[in-house]
Amino acid sequence: MAGKPNDAPATYSPSLKNKKHPFYKNSDLDWVRPDGRGFHQCRPAFFRTGAVNAASGSAYAELGNTKVIVSVFGPRESKKAMMYSDIGRLNCNVSYTTFATSVRGQGSDHKEFSSMLHKALEGAIRLETFPKTTVDIFALVLESGGSDFPVLISCASLALADAGIMLHDLVAAVAVSSLGSNLVIDPVSEEESYQDGSLLITCMPSRYEVTQLTITGEWSTSRINEAMELCLDACTKLGKVMRSCLKEAASTTTD
Amino acid sequence: MTALSLGERLFIQGGIAQDLRADGRGRLDYRTLYVETGVIPQANGSARVRFGGTDVIASAKAEIGRPTLLQPDKGKVSTHVDCSSTAAPMFEGRGGEELSSELSIALQRCLLGGKSGAGAGIDLSSLIIVEGKVCWDLYIECLVVSSDGNLLDALGAAIKAALSNTGIPRVQVAADAASEEQPEVDISDEEFLQFDTSSVPVIVTLTKVGRHYIVDATPEEESQMSSAVSVSVNRKGHICGLTKRGGAGLDPSVILDMISVAKHVSEQLLTKLDSEISAAESREEDK
Repeated sequence: MAGKPNDAPATYSPSLKNKKHPFYKNSDLDWVRPDGRGFHQCRPAFFRTGAVNAASGSAYAELGNTKVIVSVFGPRESKKAMMYSDIGRLNCNVSYTTFATSVRGQGSDHKEFSSMLHKALEGAIRLETFPKTTVDIFALVLESGGSDFPVLISCASLALADAGIMLHDLVAAVAVSSLGSNLVIDPVSEEESYQDGSLLITCMPSRYEVTQLTITGEWSTSRINEAMELCLDACTKLGKVMRSCLKEAASTTTD
Repeated sequence: MTALSLGERLFIQGGIAQDLRADGRGRLDYRTLYVETGVIPQANGSARVRFGGTDVIASAKAEIGRPTLLQPDKGKVSTHVDCSSTAAPMFEGRGGEELSSELSIALQRCLLGGKSGAGAGIDLSSLIIVEGKVCWDLYIECLVVSSDGNLLDALGAAIKAALSNTGIPRVQVAADAASEEQPEVDISDEEFLQFDTSSVPVIVTLTKVGRHYIVDATPEEESQMSSAVSVSVNRKGHICGLTKRGGAGLDPSVILDMISVAKHVSEQLLTKLDSEISAAESREEDK
């Protein structure tokens, strides 16, 4: 499933604005990433909508070894026990398959992921367009290969678009890991397990608005600046890849 | 939550825009901070912190455990927040669960730093007794007694106060410990090691109402927010963790501005908190 839409850009790596390549002057010059990418190079992104027939909308995403599938159901009637609400509700659920990680049954923080997915998406969805009803988002990580969460968010926003839920914009998410003096974009699992800190941005590329930002580890302000710039640039490009995937899906159905 | 009339909403928004909030504070002023340490005798360290009407208790308990295989040279720390239904009726049963887990994850993110342990507020390697075999498990339990806005900042301050009040017992390891699978340890009940809390960060939550940000928001003000950013900053002025709440998107430049404001505010809060903690500790000794 590694085919790519022809007109889509192959990758969404940010273009370096400053010419001096800050990461080359470091002492650990010979350090290579596990999959041979440059520090500021992202994995090729593959998206496809309509992966699940039963759902109102669904999407499949594959970035390197990270493979996720997201289906969206609804809007459908909220549970009877819920209070009346004049805006729609969003219900997110993230789960891992038992074979997603190398150690069986790992990764217990799905609840955290579910609430973070909710927070990342709610700002982009026009909840007022489906009052009294609930939209369910079910995300499943088929294979965890690093940067699972950003991939999940991007994939979920595509699935929402596929379901015809009104959105302000697609949501693209990119993470950066801080490893020693280097910033590494779109980290794989190995890099994530050694990272000193991480920064995750989810943003709406056309509106240039950040819907969610989380930082762990110790960062100086200038470093946050640098990492945010990298992420936002990559988000803009990822947004284009996602958009072309939607366009392609629309053009095949009209044919 | 708090239902406000249009008039009340406009009053709050207008007040914030004019740098004079409903309770007379400016945008970047905190409510009176009150710290009391050593409130729970059974724990290794504890503290109660009040920000105006918000009242939280944090306790730190150390137990002997085994380090994980992945990190044999480090102890373990877990945080748990309990939102009691005495604080608000909506916390009853499973109602407080979502807020509890959100708060404890945010605290964990601020205290423990990255996966490699860099930038952690608590030095996990100081909790090790015998590498790969015995370590301290530090359980940080927080209780929300009364909720009146700005819970995360109060919890962060309470944990910092509780940790500075924490004494970890000195441990004697039997001489032939290296060979044994589970070495015998002798826990002293007289000698305690003081916990180093100089690198524990404080959390500053900036709530954005209209075009301005405020600190230490009350529930009424929180209901008017478009988004909030919680930044934890340590003594060195480095950011140790950041989370965003609230649905509305923010422009990247606004976020950077909020970070710099949070850094500025955190300096004052740290100094205030440190002096309050030392005052509370001297009060405790006098007793």
